[in-house]
Order: sequence, then C-alpha cells, then structure tokens
Amino acid sequence: MTAARLTTATVAAAAAACLILTGCSNSDDAASAGAKKIAVKVTDQGCAAEPATAEAGALTFEVTNTDAKRVTEAEVLKDGKILGEKENLTPGLSGTFTLRLEPGEYVVLCPNAATDQSPFTVTAAKGATAAASVDADLASSVATYKAYLEDQTAQLTAQTEKFVAAVKAGDVAKAKALFAPTRAYYERIEPVAESFGDLDPQIDARVNDVDPGDEWTGFHKLEKALWADGSLDGTGPVADKLLTDVKDLESKVTTVELAPEQIANGAVGLLDEVAKSKITGEEDRYSHTDLWDFAANVAGAREAVDVLAPTLRAKDAALLTTINGQFKDVLASLSQYQTADGYEDYSAVTDDQRRTMTTQVNALAESLSKVAPLIA
Amino acid sequence: MTETGRISRRRFLGGLGAAGAGAGLGAVAVAAHAQPPDPVPGGSGVGAGARVDFHGVHQAGIGTASQDRLAFAAFDVTTKDADALRRVLTDWTAAAVAMTRGVPVPGSSSDPIAPPADTGEARGLPPSALTVTVGFGPSLFDERFGLASRRPAALEPIPALPGDELQPQRVGGDLVIQACSNDPQVAFHVIRNLARIGSGSVAMRWSQLGFGRTSATSVTQSTPRNLMGFKDGTRNIRGEDTAAMDKHVWVGDESDQDWMRGGTYLVSRRIRMLVESWDRDYLADQQAVFGRHKDSGAPLTGTDEFDVPDYHAKGADGETVIAQDAHIRLVSPENNDGLTILRRGFSYTDGIDDIGLLDAGLFFIAFQQDPRKQFVPLQRKIGRVDALNEYIKHTGSGVWACPPGLPDDTRTWADQLFA
Repeated sequence: MTAARLTTATVAAAAAACLILTGCSNSDDAASAGAKKIAVKVTDQGCAAEPATAEAGALTFEVTNTDAKRVTEAEVLKDGKILGEKENLTPGLSGTFTLRLEPGEYVVLCPNAATDQSPFTVTAAKGATAAASVDADLASSVATYKAYLEDQTAQLTAQTEKFVAAVKAGDVAKAKALFAPTRAYYERIEPVAESFGDLDPQIDARVNDVDPGDEWTGFHKLEKALWADGSLDGTGPVADKLLTDVKDLESKVTTVELAPEQIANGAVGLLDEVAKSKITGEEDRYSHTDLWDFAANVAGAREAVDVLAPTLRAKDAALLTTINGQFKDVLASLSQYQTADGYEDYSAVTDDQRRTMTTQVNALAESLSKVAPLIA
Repeated sequence: MTETGRISRRRFLGGLGAAGAGAGLGAVAVAAHAQPPDPVPGGSGVGAGARVDFHGVHQAGIGTASQDRLAFAAFDVTTKDADALRRVLTDWTAAAVAMTRGVPVPGSSSDPIAPPADTGEARGLPPSALTVTVGFGPSLFDERFGLASRRPAALEPIPALPGDELQPQRVGGDLVIQACSNDPQVAFHVIRNLARIGSGSVAMRWSQLGFGRTSATSVTQSTPRNLMGFKDGTRNIRGEDTAAMDKHVWVGDESDQDWMRGGTYLVSRRIRMLVESWDRDYLADQQAVFGRHKDSGAPLTGTDEFDVPDYHAKGADGETVIAQDAHIRLVSPENNDGLTILRRGFSYTDGIDDIGLLDAGLFFIAFQQDPRKQFVPLQRKIGRVDALNEYIKHTGSGVWACPPGLPDDTRTWADQLFA
C-alpha cells in the first residue's frame, strides 16, 4: 500500500475547484486543438485581451512581452481567483495557456503595469451540442467504472470468504492456492481502496509499513504465515478481521463519488504501484506472487482507460492510440510468464527483463498522466 | 601494469637526484608561455547566473567556457517509429531552448489535475551558464529510421582499446545529452525533464553526474586539478583559438556528410581512478607518472605551469627527465604529429563499489573533428604504455556525432538529423 492517492479530501477539493472554474479545463496541451486564440500583449502600461469578447469554450491565450520591463506575466481571473496564467515572460518571450471558459465577466491582469487590469467577456456559445455530448459520455464513463468497482469488490468479498475459510480450516495448500487470485480483485481497484483512510493499510500493509505498537493485519500477514512460517496457528482472528475489512470496503465503494479525472489518475496510480513495488518483487516477498498483482494493476488501469475511451478518442485520438500500443507492450512482457492458472514465481524474471518492463510501465504511466487534464 | 612501466619507474627512483638537475635544464629552456597566464584564477569565465546563448553556428557546451557541473545521459531509442523520434527531438529542442533561458519547459505547470509539465526543481534558479548539447550515436544510423545513408564515415563505434575494462551498462547509446551548468540542480533538471519528455520513445541507458570541471576551455580559465591532485590538460585547446578549433574540433569540408559541417564528435570515457593505490604512491613517482610537478603544475623540465615541456632534456643518469612513459609525453602534440583534441571532462564519484573501494575518477569528454584519426590512435598508444594505466581503468565509453548549432527557433535537432 502507499500513501493514499485518492483521498476523500482530494475528491472534495477537486469537485470544489471544478465548481469555481465553471467548466474546469486548464492546460496547454488539453483543449487547445480547435481553441480560439486570444492575444494578450504585455507592456509596462498594461495589457488587454484582443479580442476582448469570445464565445464560451476552449480559449487559448497567447501572451507576448515585446519590451515590458516591469511586467513579466499575465493572468485570467474570475471573481478574484486565478484561472490561468503565464509567468516569467521577460522581454522577447511569449507563452500560451488554454482555458475552457463558461459565459461571464473575467479580468485579464498583468501585475506591476500602470493599468494592471482589463475586462474580458465570454458569451454563450452558439453550438453547445458538442460539449453536451462530451458531458454525456463522461457521465456514462463514470457510471460504468462505478459498476466495475462494485463488481470487483463484490467478487473480492466472495473470494476472501473462501480464502479465509481455508485459513481457518488450517488448509495451508488450499489457502496458498487462493491467496494470489483473491488479491487480484483488490489490486485492480487499489487506488480507490486507498481513499478510505485505514482500510488499505488494514487489508494490504507490508510488515515494514506498520508503525511500532500497531498491529499488523491483512493479506500479507497471512502470506507470511503461509509461506515463511508454514503454520496458520493463531491466525484465526487475522482472517476474521480481513473478511470484515473487505466487506467494509465493499459497502463503502457504493457511496464513492468519482470524477472522470480521478479515474484517469487512478490508472496512473495503479501503474506507479507496479513500478514501485511489483517490479522490485517487494510486494509479495514471501509468496513471490508479484506477477499476479502486476497483472491485476495493469488490468485495473486498462479498465479505466476503456471506460474513458469515447471521450479520449474525441479529445486526442493519437494519445489513445499511443496508450493502446503501450498496454500491448506491457501485456506482451507479462504474457511470457503466464502459466495455465496464473503466473510464474517472480524469481523467474531476470534483471534485464525487469528493466524492460520498468521502461514499458513508466512509458505507459507517463502517457496516462496526460489523460486527466483532457477529460476534466 | 605492464613490465615497461614498472622498469621505467624503478629507473626513475634511482635517478631522483637527476630530477633536480632536469629542473635546472628546464629553467634554462624557459620558453615563451604556450598559453597566457590565467586572468581569472579558478573562475569559470562567466557569471554564475549567466545565460549562454543556445543558438549559434556551433552548439554551446563545446567551445564555450567549461562550467563546473555536468549531468550527462545516454539514451536508447525504444520506438521503431521515425516520426516518434522526430517528435522527441523537436520537443527536446524546445525544452532545451527554454531551460537555457531559465524558464520552465513548455506546457502547463499549473493545472491542478495534471502533472506539471516542468518538474520544477530549477524554478527560481538562474540558468547558471547552462548549455545543453546533443549527439547522435553510431547505433542510431542502422536500418530502424532510414538514417543509414546519413551516417558520417567518422562516426564509427570506438573499437576495443588496450586497457579497456568496459562495463556494458556504461557503454554507447543512440542519443546523448550533455548538460553543463554552474549549478548541479540546473544541470540535473535537464536530463530529468528530457527523459520524461522522451518517455515511451526513448529510455535512458546510463547517466553520469560530474561535480567539478577538469579542463579549461577558455583563456579566462585556469587549469583545474583532477582527482589525482594534478593539473592535467594545461595545453588544452581554448575555445577562443578559432584556428585550432577549426583545425582540430569542428567538422569542415572533409566530411562526407554536409549536415555535420560545423559539428563535432564527442567521445566519452568513464575513467575510474584507483584512488586508494594512487594516494599511497610516493610523490616523486606520482610526478613521474604525469611528467609534471604536482604543486606548480610545471613540467618536470620547467618551473611554471605553462612552460613548454622539454622532452629531450636528460638527467645525470642519461635518461630523459620526463620519462618515456610519462602521461604528458605520450599525449603531447609534438609526439603525435600535431594531433590534439579538445578536452572538457569532469570529476565524478559514485560512492563506493561493492567491495568498499571509492568509485571516483574522471568522466573524460573530448571533442574532435574525426575520432578515427584523433582519440582512437591516441588512446591506442597511451593505453599500452602510459605509466598512468597502473592507476586507472576505463569503465565506460561512447561516441556521438554532435550536429552544428541551430540558428534560431525555426529549426530543431530533428531537422538536422532527418533533413
């Protein structure tokens, strides 16, 4: 487990930011395709948008500083809040930023100029249908992903019941066989599980993640008992608690509120998990079942991209093509280790292959990190 | 170490008294300084926060004054798509232009839900004379990107050389980036951001940080000391000496590839010093190995750093004062038909190795018109007989074609490579 990536606090903050920004897209890469261009010339006297009025939608502000000495930046604000800015524009430099703006009155600000503000007006767009269709796509993406989360947690509970029963029956062989396939349901949705405070550490902590004085619980404690200790003596309460925590997760997931960009960034989180603890062989240090987790993390990320694909295709089809190719590379590497019922022991992976897989996973994660600003 | 080396140094031990006599001879022979004395002792020749222009006839970071810090990275191209490689080189150019100006790499760094385009650690730091220099390795000109016909004849992989103990993970690379700055964080920022921009199309193969320059490449600079405590490279080519640069460093009409004119070839060698052994060698022997006085940097036949070494002067024992296997004798232009290279290396350390010895030395970088005629024959010669070999080993190696400079923002490294 890692520090929570999608804490409920950030969920709330992201939602609030969206409300303030009323439409909420701000990126040089995002939305700039087809965006209307607004020129902002910065001088020591002031700055103004040209034209000073535009229709709602994606607007790219092109800020240039020819010879202003005192002014080196321009910002666009609404109600005193900075929505976008370009800084560090010394004489001779220029830069752009793109905003998706709703109808309303805005201000272009260039600090230190003689007249540092000028108005900028956004009017209602004539053909707002394209935006409406994107919104509908995204709403459906969120619903689909939510259903996936609920399905995975329900299956996690069902599998955990079997695993826990085997542990409590003292059936080491059966428990070992169920360990990795059960965890896979958890690993596919881990970033969401991490948003529920203590649940992730209770379910998935490794021994060194536990503070001195705190009790170590969850899958990895049972993993140690099964593989390192070779004895399940006294693990009954750990098994019971695991089932309780997993059921708790299942019920909490039904209440989770997701924004599309969280689904995208959650996919990045899943691949970061792969790069950080699966490729190192650190996650499942007793059972060496890391490749199962690796595959589950990648599958969870794949699902996130699949549900977002309609919007992503509309916004940046080339990026989606790149991502699909990169998924293929990762899966091709993984498939070398596939067995009839799962994956080989992690020690089968050589250092060279770890390096190759790291490069592939990082390339995919880097591409996935570009998705959130496109769809927000 | 070879038998020859050991014998000559025993001989030197026997002739300790002669060294003094040799110095006397050298004093008589004090000729005009090969280089003017240094007006800015220890200075880098540029203000700490200065900007070095990215654009120009030649790439910056070669003939410009050497900065104090290095971040160097070799990359493999992992994509098979020439357009993807073109995009990387185009984006790299724009990022390099921005960073050398001291501004963040292009793209948004303020969108709360997106990773910032610039990683941010150089924010608020002046460019500190940052230069970003690119090079293309021999392996890039294979069948993958249709570049075979654009490969310069001079760009051949460095052949196996005497004394090589190369570690495969420190050799070669399709692309190279040399980032130099007077601020280590500014230099590191470059390779980190370029690696990220290239992610998915290129992957870093190996990288090296250098913490102190070991060469003077400008008349404004004094000769720094290497980790052996010696001034090495006193007679290095200076960037201001345009005649020497044109003759020995910049590619001219002799090249079979028009696109390389105004460019040069970078050879890097990671030269590990066996520090523990060196540090317990007695002073006279250390001086015999280099052929210079440790303290003053003067040749053993002189009293001033810039005295021209007298390779003929003999001591009372009848042997030359500067030993036959002394480093400066073997690499001197006089003894190599005038052959010389522009050295621009850095000291490095990577902590200790797996048996507890310091892993430190010289990350040697040299620029030249044709490595086949300059670095390779020179190293083939000294790799066999140089007394220094007992205390060093070459653990990394690479050669890259560095294209000429870009005139302005309308052209990119991709345009140069693909035409």
